[in-house]
Amino acid sequence: MEKLRIYLLLLVVFFINPSYAQEQSYTSTVLAPGYNQLTFDAPVPGSYVIPSYMPASNGDVIDVDGLTKSLHDIYDDKIVLLNFMYSTCTDVNGCPLATAVFHKIKNILDKDPVIGKQVSMISLSFDPENDSPDVMKLYGDGTDSGTVDWKFLTTNSMNDLDPILNKYSQRIIKEYDEKGNYIGSISHILRVFLIDKDKNIRSIYSVSFLHSDVLINDIKTLLHPESQNGTMVVASTVNVVPSGSSLARPGDAKEGYESGDYVTDAQSLVRTGVATDLYKIANSPILGLPELKMKEGTDLTREKIALGRKMFFDRRLSHTDTISCAICHVPEMGFAHNELATAVGTEGRSNIRNAPTILNSALLTRLFHDGREHSLENQVWGPLLSHKEMANPAPGYLIKKIKNIPDYDNLFEEAYNTGPSIDTISKAFAAYQYTLLSGNSDFDRWYYGGERNAISNSAKKGFKLFTGKAACITCHVIGDDYALFTDEKLHNTGMGFKASMHVEPPMKKVTLVPGLTIDIDTSSYRDNVAFKDEIAPNDLGLYTVTQDPYDRWKFRTASLRNVEITGPYMHNGALQNLKDVVEFYNKGGIKESGKMKNEMLSPLMFPLNLSENEMNNIVDFLKTLTGSNVNELILDAKAAPIGEISLNDPNWFHENKPKY
Amino acid sequence: MKIRKLMSTVYGMLMSSFLALVLVPTHVFSDETCMSPYMAKIVGQEDYVYVWTLGQVGVGDEQDKLVTVAVNPASPHYGNVIGHTSVGGRNEAHHSGFTDDRHYLWAATLDTGKIFIFDVHTNPSKPKLHKVITDFTKASGGIVGPHTTYALPGRMMISGLSNNQDFGGRTALVEYTNDGTYVATYDMPTDGNLNGAVKTGQFADGYGYDIRALPRRNVMITSSFTGWNNYMMNLGKLMGDADAMGRFGNTVVVWDLHTRKPKKVFDVPGAPLEIRCAWGSSNNYCFTTTALTSQIWLIYEKDNEWHAESVGTIGDPSKIPLPVDISITADDKHLWVNTWNDGMTRIFDISDPHNAVEVKAHKIGDQVNMLSQSWDGNRIYFTTSLLSNWDKGDVPDVEGPPQFFKAYDQKDNDLIHKFTIDFAAEKLGMPHQMRFGAYSLYSKTADNKNLAELNR
Repeated sequence: MEKLRIYLLLLVVFFINPSYAQEQSYTSTVLAPGYNQLTFDAPVPGSYVIPSYMPASNGDVIDVDGLTKSLHDIYDDKIVLLNFMYSTCTDVNGCPLATAVFHKIKNILDKDPVIGKQVSMISLSFDPENDSPDVMKLYGDGTDSGTVDWKFLTTNSMNDLDPILNKYSQRIIKEYDEKGNYIGSISHILRVFLIDKDKNIRSIYSVSFLHSDVLINDIKTLLHPESQNGTMVVASTVNVVPSGSSLARPGDAKEGYESGDYVTDAQSLVRTGVATDLYKIANSPILGLPELKMKEGTDLTREKIALGRKMFFDRRLSHTDTISCAICHVPEMGFAHNELATAVGTEGRSNIRNAPTILNSALLTRLFHDGREHSLENQVWGPLLSHKEMANPAPGYLIKKIKNIPDYDNLFEEAYNTGPSIDTISKAFAAYQYTLLSGNSDFDRWYYGGERNAISNSAKKGFKLFTGKAACITCHVIGDDYALFTDEKLHNTGMGFKASMHVEPPMKKVTLVPGLTIDIDTSSYRDNVAFKDEIAPNDLGLYTVTQDPYDRWKFRTASLRNVEITGPYMHNGALQNLKDVVEFYNKGGIKESGKMKNEMLSPLMFPLNLSENEMNNIVDFLKTLTGSNVNELILDAKAAPIGEISLNDPNWFHENKPKY
Repeated sequence: MKIRKLMSTVYGMLMSSFLALVLVPTHVFSDETCMSPYMAKIVGQEDYVYVWTLGQVGVGDEQDKLVTVAVNPASPHYGNVIGHTSVGGRNEAHHSGFTDDRHYLWAATLDTGKIFIFDVHTNPSKPKLHKVITDFTKASGGIVGPHTTYALPGRMMISGLSNNQDFGGRTALVEYTNDGTYVATYDMPTDGNLNGAVKTGQFADGYGYDIRALPRRNVMITSSFTGWNNYMMNLGKLMGDADAMGRFGNTVVVWDLHTRKPKKVFDVPGAPLEIRCAWGSSNNYCFTTTALTSQIWLIYEKDNEWHAESVGTIGDPSKIPLPVDISITADDKHLWVNTWNDGMTRIFDISDPHNAVEVKAHKIGDQVNMLSQSWDGNRIYFTTSLLSNWDKGDVPDVEGPPQFFKAYDQKDNDLIHKFTIDFAAEKLGMPHQMRFGAYSLYSKTADNKNLAELNR
């Protein structure tokens, strides 16, 4: 009776022209692509990668002779196509589709014995109650000849089958009538598995993608000699450190974005670095820089530097495992941030200041834009504990967290002979920053090194203006033996005053896309604040530290070293390029805003009366201040792994559950 | 022997074809229209809507949660929140998607990158947190901000929004198995690594956002938004930052679905976000809308080549209405477009896909982001939240609660309001993406049993 039923179905099939459905949806009542010609070119074998998904699980099955065998024994060392099916399946785009595609594959590969003998196909029933070995034998009648092996299998019972279905995530639902009686049909998602010779699942095909051309090319790809069994072949990279600062640019530089002619120059995300000897940098004289003076008692070692560098790039050292130091001090952006005026912290909280470069910060005696810290060691805990930066709730929290991160095991002990603490964490961060020194710029080689042609004539004119008519040197000091280009004092230029007065034009130009800049109503966005604590406080500079009203809007004089690569500029990133900066100073800063006078404006601020050419000369001069080892420091930074939470790290969902 | 050979030949010529004419198809299609074509389908009325909700400071337990709303009118709980599962932290809950068997809901987060996997099949009325992928960024090689979780057979394709090197927009697609095992990372094409793709215009920015597939054409399509720095930043701060405003995606990429290799990079300026593909068997096209330039774009195939074309304007672009979620009707005739800034939903006639024409618009609230409609289009649901630091804060309560879930019936493009849930008043947070749940997905029993489940 079973034989008659299946034969009748096949006779119906035989007289049907499948071309009827070529332009129809195969979703329910017409045919899947597997029945027809493939409507796109199947990918060329070996031209692509088929990643490994998971091991193909084992299980006990019964062959058509009633013998119990394991799936893995049947897989042997062949490439396997596995389909779960049942013989009475009535959905044309279900089991019959897989059977039809298997027939096509067998017909083709039987004629290609080199490949065919390496392939095995399996139809495994998920209806053991009805699909006995005899039924499966009948279902597979006529398929036992040829090169390609095709086995029809079933199981003893649902108890034997369920573990297999679960391991392959093959969901089935038996269908019942209104009285709760099984009606003989099983709802399921059609799946065919491609399994490699190592018994790993390499692909899963559903109705829409089950086509002999695709499957055969995938099989050929797994066998392709140049694809290493279909796994990714990664070309090795030769790392050469170019001198200069050519690598100092954002990964997707947006210069000229406002123009309709803008074209992208986005870099690959592949992170390639070359470690350098940072210890040597910190312990060698560098043209143009003063001698490095570390905090008393500092004993810099390579182990301490390496530990500090690891921590600098570790996002796990913030409360939410998201923000590392390097997120705001991005190496290829001059260890500053070229893409933001002011920084963004944990949970997107708004910071009100621009992230300054940390290059040469070891040479400064006043840190932060308001100058409130005086050593790298002390400075460290500012961002680590700031609610708007890395948001660690307490020093003890971070110390405990580091102790529980497995890949920090013993690193502090090896570097400091003691574990993580407020003291050693401070020292380790500082150790790395002591090495981020960058001098020997074109200017240095011209001014201190005596290389007459190290800078352009325009830059030389700029230097003359810088030290003369423009009087920049008053604050951006140049010494006889070295230059930090800062007096390390704090001044009111009016930039902070202006921001605090909130005098914005009612309309502001905003570039939405290249070639499209529109005027928008500033009130439409200025007051859009999600949370009360997101209302930005006015930034009063040094006053926030001293409470001295005469210190209002005073900010630290920034070093100009590497200034070309560390924009945007000023304490709030308000100026996008160096020309804007020079123009700002040429106007003498900000004296008033509306009816409010900037009473604390520095007396050093006055109109400079520079011509356009003179301002360009100064810009050219500023561009000579980029250190010669910037590329070296960037590549070294990129050689450092970025610390990311792993399954072994402390997290409430992990076995390594933090206890407080 | 001859008979046996004949039968083999019959099989060989396809055990196929016309069975459909004499046999009843197993599945009936009825589901929201934006789901993966690989997805298991709901039969009939959906029972629940799962709302992936952002935790909000000062609201309830302040953490992200999956909220379950009863939406079957046959349920005594119809129109009510029947439960929620808090997941710890404010992770910037955003989009979610089912596995192809619809047993699990993958709820992704843009800040911490955690992916919360809920078991929705054991008891559809009570999704249970099954697993948390905490190491997405490490496993993927540095991808930040998992966004779309899109079902492929036995696997999930996840689009990133950012990277751990600069928190900018360059990112990748990341593939996982349904059980949460990492498989592979596929970088979005950049100038520095086009990976075989053709840069058809001026841009190859490498940004990412949404994913959709047209399997019958072996095509996967991705769009592009912006990186962590921007989507986590306060919107007012962002609009005032010229450097940051220059960092939005301007591209749509057409991929070879099977090989996961990018084929073409199209210029689609202004942050193209959601992608919805047509369902008709010969409708080889998809739509996307641009957030900053308020355009409807058609990504379509003609003469075996793919193209991108702007086919309509949404509202007044100069006012930046900010198109967000879109939804295509099952008959491919209408496209619903939500505009977040003005809280409107606009219905476009896309019978001619090359000429999208607005035919009707409705005010939903002060702001509106997501919408989900049933396959037959008879029921439509809306939620409000876009991003935690972009959402409007102290807005006047002129159009009802600022953060809500609203349910409507729909007929002839008109909306009939059924109920509203005030997510602030219920101390839940900010509602984002909705996914449908139904008992019918997991048992083929009589409807009265499902009803009993609903009433239990």
